[in-house]
Amino acid sequence: MVEEITRPHKGIFDVVVFANKQIRGTFYRLGLEFSGDGAAAFAKAKAGQFAQIDLSGIALPPAEGIAEDLRDASERKILLRRPFSFCDVSGHRGKTKVEILYCALGPATLRMTTLSVGKSVSVIGPLGNGFQMPAGKKMVLLVSGGMGAGPLIHLAKTLTADCPDVEAIAFAGAKTKTELPFERPTDEISQQLGFSLHEFARFGVESQLATDDGSAGYEGLVTDCFSKWLVQRSLAAKDTIIYSCGPEKMLARMARIAEEKKIDCQISMERMMACGIGVCQSCAVKCKVNGSSEAIYKLCCKDGPVFDSREVVFKL
Amino acid sequence: MDISVEFGKLKLANPVFTASGTCGYADELADFTNINHLGGFITKSITAKPRQGNDTPRVVETDSGMLNAIGLANIGLDSFVQEKLPIIAKLTVPVFVNVAGETIDDYVAVVQRLATEQAIAGFELNISCPNVAKGGLSFGTDPALVAEITTAVRQAAGEKVLMVKLSPCVTDISVIARAAVDAGADALSLINTFTAMVIDIETRKPVLANKTGGLSGPVIKPIAVYLVNKVYNEVTKERGIPILGLGGIRTASDAVEFIIAGATAVAVGTANFIEPGCATKIIEGIKKYCVRKEIKNIKELIGSLE
Repeated sequence: MVEEITRPHKGIFDVVVFANKQIRGTFYRLGLEFSGDGAAAFAKAKAGQFAQIDLSGIALPPAEGIAEDLRDASERKILLRRPFSFCDVSGHRGKTKVEILYCALGPATLRMTTLSVGKSVSVIGPLGNGFQMPAGKKMVLLVSGGMGAGPLIHLAKTLTADCPDVEAIAFAGAKTKTELPFERPTDEISQQLGFSLHEFARFGVESQLATDDGSAGYEGLVTDCFSKWLVQRSLAAKDTIIYSCGPEKMLARMARIAEEKKIDCQISMERMMACGIGVCQSCAVKCKVNGSSEAIYKLCCKDGPVFDSREVVFKL
Repeated sequence: MDISVEFGKLKLANPVFTASGTCGYADELADFTNINHLGGFITKSITAKPRQGNDTPRVVETDSGMLNAIGLANIGLDSFVQEKLPIIAKLTVPVFVNVAGETIDDYVAVVQRLATEQAIAGFELNISCPNVAKGGLSFGTDPALVAEITTAVRQAAGEKVLMVKLSPCVTDISVIARAAVDAGADALSLINTFTAMVIDIETRKPVLANKTGGLSGPVIKPIAVYLVNKVYNEVTKERGIPILGLGGIRTASDAVEFIIAGATAVAVGTANFIEPGCATKIIEGIKKYCVRKEIKNIKELIGSLE
């Protein structure tokens, strides 16, 4: 117990890669194993929090392993750490395993794909504020766009463990089925709405898919799919909460839906960051000040990345 | 082996500072490092009134560097006094407050209010911020204005050490350095960032909302070393004015280069974003260098360029 108190709640740690798997297309899942103080700090990592990973010393994959349209830009050297949220955190025998869902699309994430098992990497975290679960909620709605699914998968797991009486349903959207960051093929899912995605189903959470082009699931925006579903169900607003992560345009639509239906909604925002620890002031998110027309900047890294959807002034 | 240095009238335990804008106001890095182990600490810029800062994106990475256009976002003088001064008062490290403003009166107001505070060792005058419409760099590029603002602030600063932070975006940095020293600066810090731009070739727009930003990081280091050496030789050496050298320092060898070039102390900036607490490692590295080179007192190293 004494040890628990003296251990840091966040810090800079060297951690070991235990897995780095291409799940499909440009999507990968990186597994990091923390020991010692790092294991203690990350054991308490909440869904929606993030870590800053130093990828500057990692080699690029060979040119033929990089999509042609990314080759030129990927040659740029990187300097700053990159922020990643978690899709799973688990502890075992004093170690903590953290999994990160990522998409290889730039100089840093392409380098990340070459991290092999056993390699060491420097991680700062856990950082920021995760999703909060207010008391008294009976229905949880998880709505993600593209890569935004990661922290919501983590949240689905947390909810199962911490709030077993709460019902949860996930909605996952992307432009097209190849941009859905899930492991199993979605062809069969496109046949029947409501087919569960394994990533959520393993925590007893049903899911629905939407793609802009209709190549899997609902044809259209995930926010429209969600809206229509919401109309069909008569949920008690005060018992319900929405958690959402995805592109800012999508989050703005979610905020509008939540406001119309008077449902609490927490969104995970994204900004270009340098430090991730609240000192550089780069990752400003414009927020309304309660009861005034004024707006102030909060920091995505320190005050967020999870915000109340009513608070944010979106950049559109 | 002694790595303590005299910086104006201050005696510093070691020559390593953290640079303004990279370490918050006081205790923000407490999770990662012990600030009291530093030679000196410089706060984020403080202005008379709070500033929200620029729209986003405020930062973009480039090869071996980054551009920032934060726009001097800060809590303002009153909140600084109420919230941050009590924390600073508990630190044992000498603390410099970085001061910015749109007018000379703005600068004077901040300095006057803080000049009697025991907790503060000195001021760093920011006349070199490239990311604000008024003030900032517009002061730092005109020797007459540099003289005027330095004189005004010198008076307001009382007994505190006054350091003036110079921009590299000038034709001859020594002209500006001389203007500051002649007007009463006790020390100079150089360099601030270079005005720069990154363009998104898909949209053909600048990436930063402010269009331009200040370039920092390892990419600017050799230029910073050169400018420190130039100012040391042309202005400060004969006047006995210390230079705080900064620009792209991330290792002990980087720091040693600046000291050889003529800096009495150095500041770590952008590297704090990547490795908060790297200043402590740099201090250890400087000690090791001195041991290896049989340097008994680091003062032997200052301006020792052959």
